[in-house]
Amino acid sequence: MKKKRVLVVDDDVPLAESLKINLEDTGNFEVAVECQSKNAMQVAREFGPDVILLDVVMPGLDGGDVCDQLAGEPELRDIPVILVTALVSNNEVGIDDGINSGGRIMMAKPIRFKKLLHAIESVLKTRMALI
Amino acid sequence: MNNVGMEVATEKVLRILCLEDNEGDYILLREYLNDANFEPPPELVRVATLGAAKQLLSKGGGEASFDMVLLDLSLPDSQGEATLACLTELLPRTPITILSGNADRDLAVRMVKEGAQDYLPKDSLNSELLTRSILYAVERQRSRTKMAKLNERLRKATDDLKTAQMQLIQAEKMDSLGRLAAGVAHEVKNPLATIQLGVNYFDRRTDELGESGVMMVRHMQDAISRADRIISGMVDYSRSDTLNLKESDINDVIESALQLVQHEVVRNNIKVVAELGDSLPLVKVDQGKMEQVLINLMVNAVQAMADCADRDPGESGEECEMHVRTYHGEVQQIERDEGIRHFERIRAHDSVVVIEIRDHGAGIPDEKSTRIFEPFYTTKPTGEGTGLGLSIAKNIIDLHRGYIQINNVENGAGVRARILLKCTDAA
Repeated sequence: MKKKRVLVVDDDVPLAESLKINLEDTGNFEVAVECQSKNAMQVAREFGPDVILLDVVMPGLDGGDVCDQLAGEPELRDIPVILVTALVSNNEVGIDDGINSGGRIMMAKPIRFKKLLHAIESVLKTRMALI
Repeated sequence: MNNVGMEVATEKVLRILCLEDNEGDYILLREYLNDANFEPPPELVRVATLGAAKQLLSKGGGEASFDMVLLDLSLPDSQGEATLACLTELLPRTPITILSGNADRDLAVRMVKEGAQDYLPKDSLNSELLTRSILYAVERQRSRTKMAKLNERLRKATDDLKTAQMQLIQAEKMDSLGRLAAGVAHEVKNPLATIQLGVNYFDRRTDELGESGVMMVRHMQDAISRADRIISGMVDYSRSDTLNLKESDINDVIESALQLVQHEVVRNNIKVVAELGDSLPLVKVDQGKMEQVLINLMVNAVQAMADCADRDPGESGEECEMHVRTYHGEVQQIERDEGIRHFERIRAHDSVVVIEIRDHGAGIPDEKSTRIFEPFYTTKPTGEGTGLGLSIAKNIIDLHRGYIQINNVENGAGVRARILLKCTDAA
């Protein structure tokens, strides 16, 4: 089966790298990491991700700005985005995988990897169903 | 000033207690008083011994019945300082004027130093001296009473000011703590997320780790969960400042919270006894936040009865019951608290919906009862409580302009948490 492509956009380098290592470790994903949000669009165009893991609080362009830019490009606007943020608490996210924020899944840091995998699989499945 | 021949007006009939064993001296005193021309004339009540004075005071109106005392120091049953001391004890707020003979003038001067209002030498006493002494004594007493009242008002005002200051400090403390909590939480969550992913990575390699390695990974996972609970609590704490209010039947919120704690309840072998009031008035609540408060109180209640988990479900009685009650009522009295006060806070006679959650656990030790709402204060074992649950609960209830009180149950075991919320129509 062809590996799914995940783009991780997070200014916290160790965290972004750890996400990459864990995702690639499953053998199911190919991962690109971008730690500067201003480059996110460019990398997205070149890499062609199936899903984007996007931090919310970043210097310069924040996660919301990146979402707006993605929505403005027809080629990229249908890529599912999972917002990964330290802004919400795990109590707010609840025992489920994440909260729905404007049609996107929002997950609280620190994320349990299994939950993240579950969320990625779920958005990919939804997208497959739409195509 | 000579009062003889002039009328001396007083507001009321002055009642003067006269302790004088010498009949002649007493008659003379009365004559001086008559000459003084008080209007209305004073009432002079005479006793000849200290014992008689004590008896009189014990059956009469006590201290309030006399405006002043004229005291001869040498009485058949008491002498000098002892007489004054005894009388001062009986009438601590009534002015006492000493009537002194020539022989005990020095003593009389000393008596003034020890609390007597004045002394009058009998050998040179006349109507004018007596009148002046009485007027001064009564007037001084009136000033003293007035001053005491003013002092009392000042003390009350100072107390109110102190309470207001405490509330302000508390509000500022909470506000800065909230901002600090949000900042720290955000900064700590990122590194924690990295550690979490590292643990997850090693968790998939248990075969290579060996027994100690697996154990280590498990401890690290527990530590991350613990840190996350605290940090999530801090975020919630800082976030508990805005509400999404909706008119609600509080029983629906209770039912929903009960559903969410169902697992804990069953696991700990607790029986829920719910008495939810019929057709309660609606209250404006943020359902999610109110649920958070109720879950917190319910989980605390369940944890307070942790012993029940080891029991046979059939054998446990009242000691393993959590009572949840709602009813509609009118506030009788609200205790002062030092939390953040709002203009629209609950007051006596407000129509309120009351939620009560009661456990049958060991209760809150007295020395801890005043600190339960303090952030980061917990009585639970290390790692089990963040110490933020009840402070968040209080914040949320404060925001609802409600009132929360957590006390040991009188005449019984356990703790009762009570939340008062204003009914919508009264808000």
